[in-house]
Amino acid sequence: MVKKILYARSPIKTLEKNLRGGFGPGHLGVFASRKGVGKTACLVQIALDRLFEDKPVIHVSYASRVDYIISWYEELFKKLASRENLKSEMEVHDRVVRNRVILNFRQEGMKTEQVLKSIEALLGPGNFAARTIIVDGFNFYLPCAEDLAQFKKFAVDRQLEFWFSCSLKGEDPLFDDQGLPFVLKDYLSSLDIIITLEHDNGRVRLNLVKDHDQISSKKLRLELDPQTLLLTRI
Amino acid sequence: MNGTLQRMRNIGISAHIDSGKTTLTERILYYCKKIHRIHEVKGKEGGGATMDYMELERERGITITSATTNVTWNDHSINIIDTPGHVDFTIEVERSLRVLDGAILVLCSVGGVQSQTLTVDKQLKRYNVPAIAFVNKLDRIGANPFKVKDQINDKLGRRAALLQVPVGLEDKFQGLVDLIRMKAYYFDGPNGELVREEEIPPELEDLAWQYREELLDAVSLFSDEVTEAILEDRVTEGMLLQAIRKGTISREFTPVLMGSAYRNKGVQLLLDAVVNYLPDPSEVENIALDLDQEEKPVILKADPTLPCVSYAFKLEEGPYGQLTYIRIYQGSLRKGDELYNTRSKQKFKVGRVVRMHADHMEDIEGAVAGDIAALFGVDCASGDTICSPGLNYAMTSIYVPEPVISLAIEASDKLSADRLAKALNRFTKEDPTFRVYIDPESKQTIIQGMGELHLDVYVERMKREYRVEVVTGRPQVAYREAITARADFDYTHKKQTGGAGQFGRVIGYIEPFDGQYEFVNEVKGGHIPREFIPSCDKGFQAMLKKGQLIGSPIIGLRVVLTDGQFHPVDSSDIAFQMAAQGAFKQAYKKAKPQILEPIMKVVVETPSEFSGNVFGSLNQRRGIIVSSIEDGSYSRIEAEVPLSEMFGYSTVLRSMTQGKAEFTMEFLKYSRLPASLAEQLMEEHRQKLEAGDKQ
Repeated sequence: MVKKILYARSPIKTLEKNLRGGFGPGHLGVFASRKGVGKTACLVQIALDRLFEDKPVIHVSYASRVDYIISWYEELFKKLASRENLKSEMEVHDRVVRNRVILNFRQEGMKTEQVLKSIEALLGPGNFAARTIIVDGFNFYLPCAEDLAQFKKFAVDRQLEFWFSCSLKGEDPLFDDQGLPFVLKDYLSSLDIIITLEHDNGRVRLNLVKDHDQISSKKLRLELDPQTLLLTRI
Repeated sequence: MNGTLQRMRNIGISAHIDSGKTTLTERILYYCKKIHRIHEVKGKEGGGATMDYMELERERGITITSATTNVTWNDHSINIIDTPGHVDFTIEVERSLRVLDGAILVLCSVGGVQSQTLTVDKQLKRYNVPAIAFVNKLDRIGANPFKVKDQINDKLGRRAALLQVPVGLEDKFQGLVDLIRMKAYYFDGPNGELVREEEIPPELEDLAWQYREELLDAVSLFSDEVTEAILEDRVTEGMLLQAIRKGTISREFTPVLMGSAYRNKGVQLLLDAVVNYLPDPSEVENIALDLDQEEKPVILKADPTLPCVSYAFKLEEGPYGQLTYIRIYQGSLRKGDELYNTRSKQKFKVGRVVRMHADHMEDIEGAVAGDIAALFGVDCASGDTICSPGLNYAMTSIYVPEPVISLAIEASDKLSADRLAKALNRFTKEDPTFRVYIDPESKQTIIQGMGELHLDVYVERMKREYRVEVVTGRPQVAYREAITARADFDYTHKKQTGGAGQFGRVIGYIEPFDGQYEFVNEVKGGHIPREFIPSCDKGFQAMLKKGQLIGSPIIGLRVVLTDGQFHPVDSSDIAFQMAAQGAFKQAYKKAKPQILEPIMKVVVETPSEFSGNVFGSLNQRRGIIVSSIEDGSYSRIEAEVPLSEMFGYSTVLRSMTQGKAEFTMEFLKYSRLPASLAEQLMEEHRQKLEAGDKQ
């Protein structure tokens, strides 16, 4: 029951409904923005959305600390629980923890092959039936067309969905006139969905700039509350 | 007095197994002893350095492995404290690290930073122990101290720089170039006891200057003086020593020394470094908890004139009775002083005080803050804090975790039974997490501890140290029961048929509670006379020992007594205890009790190629994989696994990973046992009760 209510109200579902081709197994999505705008908050909320439905999630991160990642989950879980007036909070929390594995790769420049091998180890011998993989901190500024092709192939083969964050850096302009981040333009063939985050009068707006085959800057009816960092519909 | 303190060091030698800790310790003792008793050592040396270490210890009658050994180097008194290399005994590790002011971190020049090094390193960091690194075994094939230095930086996350570079490596290893003095050192004589200073071999000049620059770079952070001097090219030895010392003590810098203990090379320079860079007791901040003020932290001062605060960190059974090793943090103690044990709340008089040397013990009159000494004939447990009367401090929180596993043991023959009792008595004194009791039902001796390995080690020690062969039962997990809902009670205990009657009525409720147990009295208007309130409390507490589900202790419960009734003649202490017990039985089932099982935090370190197997094995054991951190070719997997599933895991892990993985575990929390397993336990409990009734 609890789950159903959350499910119906979930802004993530709104997001998915807005995608022409939907989002699911075999797809790669990216949230792109400068540092500190709210990419990780978006990723963690996607993860929590799946976790609330008892669907296991693997959270891959590069060079960040595990306790730091866990605290993101804890914080957003608490806020979501209080916003949705969640009953049996402890029980849901237990399930969230049970269905989440954090894979942390400490070395920068860890080979994608190795990352996929570890995910494979968890899915196969580890018997961990995740369908959603969150990848935070992947460096798109290194040449990575081949890596993304590997991720894409893996996603299709294993029927997984991948959500990445892409931290934009350098001097403006970061986007072309269609709103696409320059850094991602070489990888469009592997990426199905690209969403950019943008500050707009004290709010953080989400723009859908690549929706499968279509490139168009479409403002989603979603924003990130700068206070709570929760996604909300507008 | 102050001068003495500055010439004192309390150090530990921390190392990965096989990195040569034993040989190094032995050499340190040799070189230090040589200064005092050159003939004695030479006379006994005989067979030479090829002797096996254990044999060596036995033959020489020295105690390298004793809790502490005092040596003298360059007019400095160094206490070497034995540190357990394993991490399973949190309390034991805590105690030995607690008394260190500094440490030598030994690494193998071939293996470098291995997974156990990470564990040892983490211990040092957790207890804020400043360290110097010693890269050992430079004579081995594949030795590469430069690589190890890089690993110390990258893998251990320390800021480290070489203080020396080797003259030759592997079988051509001859000596060391000191980057501070810019001289080469060679170790002559049959046991390397003669240190010879030479100019740097010309072919090493460039290398030496290159690494000296790196060193200057690293330490200039800790001294403006050095920074300026570098610019003006007038860096002196004294300045560098100062800067390195400052960086080391603040734990921002790790000097890297090297050598081969086995080949007798480099040990003397390491001892110089201990004296030069590791802190004296006054340079380390120590904190005690004031038990009179809810464990409020108090900073101790290494001042011999203040009241005494000392810490018993190890007990040893010697030929003359129990020896208690203590570290004095504040004040001083002398023979004949009266001291106070803040745990047992008992006063005692200090009898014999000794200092342990490698080959003998020396009677001393007393000891002062900063020092380590041993006392004879003091009745205490390790971990106790001993103060001057008037102070009520504890060096560590008096909180001791509850044991999570138990094992029935029995001596295999009558003769062993006495020795077993002796061994158990000693172990329980040493380690508060190790407990013993006799099960009133089965009459078996049960030992309890923090994990399978924990108990294994004690069983092994019984054999080794007390020659007791024991038969062990199957390890049992310490389950608990807890309620999950509030339930009311209203119970009258009444027995008024002839003779002295009994009457008591209690009304109130029980509810889940965050701590262990709480009793709240809200009775108004004297409906239960004040003198009988403790009787009610006692009655409830009696019921906590055995829950009704599987007979396990009940935790996390609050009793609120709101009302009641008494009889002016028939009410008594026992009547209210009985009433409370009846009330508890009435309410317990209604409060939805459940069984809790201990969950362990398990950390597996494995080569990444096996991580899939490890994930699988943890998953099979009802484990939750929390995270996996990959660092180069190693993975560190953290999981939460029920203790009951962890029996025999070390064997499984070994065979699964070709012996290349290691794991540690510690108690994390109690959590609900899944319903199907709970059913099974309750059924077993029922059957046991029925069998008991039939007998």
